[in-house]
Amino acid sequence: MQNQPIKNIPEEELVARLRAQDASAMSVLYDMYSPALFGVVLQIVKEEETAEDVLQEAFVKIWGSFQSYDAAKGRLFTWMINVCRNLAIDKIRSKQYRVNQKTREIPASPRALYGAVGFKPEHIGVREVTETLSPEQKQIIDLMYFEGMTQSEIAEEYNIPLGTVKTRARSAIKALGKLFKGRA
Amino acid sequence: MHNEDYIASGVLELYAAGALDAAERMEVERMAAESPEVRAALLDACEVMEQYAMLHAAQPNPALKDKVMARIQQGQRVSTEEGPEAWALYPEPEEQGSGPYKWMFAASIVLFLLSGFMSLRFYQNWQDAETRLAQALASEQQLAQTYQTAAYSLDQQEQMLRVLRDESYQPVRLQGVEAHPEAKVLVYWNPEEEKVYIDAVQLPAPPAGKQYQLWALLDGKPIDAGLISLERGQETAMQQMKGIKNAQAFAVTLEPVGGSANPTLEQLYVMGEVKS
Repeated sequence: MQNQPIKNIPEEELVARLRAQDASAMSVLYDMYSPALFGVVLQIVKEEETAEDVLQEAFVKIWGSFQSYDAAKGRLFTWMINVCRNLAIDKIRSKQYRVNQKTREIPASPRALYGAVGFKPEHIGVREVTETLSPEQKQIIDLMYFEGMTQSEIAEEYNIPLGTVKTRARSAIKALGKLFKGRA
Repeated sequence: MHNEDYIASGVLELYAAGALDAAERMEVERMAAESPEVRAALLDACEVMEQYAMLHAAQPNPALKDKVMARIQQGQRVSTEEGPEAWALYPEPEEQGSGPYKWMFAASIVLFLLSGFMSLRFYQNWQDAETRLAQALASEQQLAQTYQTAAYSLDQQEQMLRVLRDESYQPVRLQGVEAHPEAKVLVYWNPEEEKVYIDAVQLPAPPAGKQYQLWALLDGKPIDAGLISLERGQETAMQQMKGIKNAQAFAVTLEPVGGSANPTLEQLYVMGEVKS
């Protein structure tokens, strides 16, 4: 299966095969989604080695708990990315717990290093995204998505009213949606 | 809340960005299941965040796939909060999960058997050692006895040698009388020190209640020179008798146990004259 070219098979078929515990489907799933998942994990943990550990755990977990994925509730990728994000956030939370105070002050800048690693022509570049979003919108999205902070945590931490957090999140995603849809 | 208001509240975007807690997530999912409008809006928001994620895509180390696939093929699983109920539907093969405990259990049994075996071995060794110690003690006792006997016998020999080497001792050969030609006794006599020894006694075993007695004869008068003991084991030893100053001859008679004042001449066995 290693030598097969990456093939994008329909999501329903993939889901059905995974549900039937077909390990070869896992190989396809890995080829299809590992860069995107790895990118997100890397954004969160900021350390390549840790990110690989997390990604490995995530795929094992996806395989092991696949029965709990409910296609009616949402997209496969959303579910997978949540598995990855939860593991990654658990990881940094447990790590940060030890070195919390020191790292707190450092702004979330190291991720700029990895920003465009997986750039593909069909995708819109990071630069365009940053131009589309206001710094506040981007910050909110990143805090949620890559720091795993809840809306109320963000409101408390950054002294922003809860309503504003929601509004900014909404407008950010709308703007992003416009950007992506416009190109698609 | 009306669907449009719900969609406008921003909660779907928060959901897509992963900023809701578990209870809030379930509420959103419930709403989406009820309303196609909400569901469509939610999928849109999620798709946007997926594409946002795609922007950050990064190729992991190719070796990682082999690791992941190896772990999956092993069937190694991590229990999850999302789907513990799924385990019952697809029971895991036996050897997983319980593996370490199985090994530990097996190891404990092996250790138990091993310790039992060792205990038995040590018990047997201990018993062996006890037996051998007892044997060694017995043999040591025997050795001590043998040594005592030997030392005693050496004493006797030395005494005998002393007498034989001493020129002041005079040997007197007592020959059997006609009735007892085979009987013989040798007497060593030192007149100056008044010492008498007998040796090489060849007399028939005395009947019950009887005992041999040595006499010294001086001018036809018998003088008691002591009773002869014929104990077994003393055959080689010299026997010291009563001191005699003057004698012309020695004789041995059979007397009742304890001896007589005068010899019973009918029971004369051996006799010899002192050579002057």
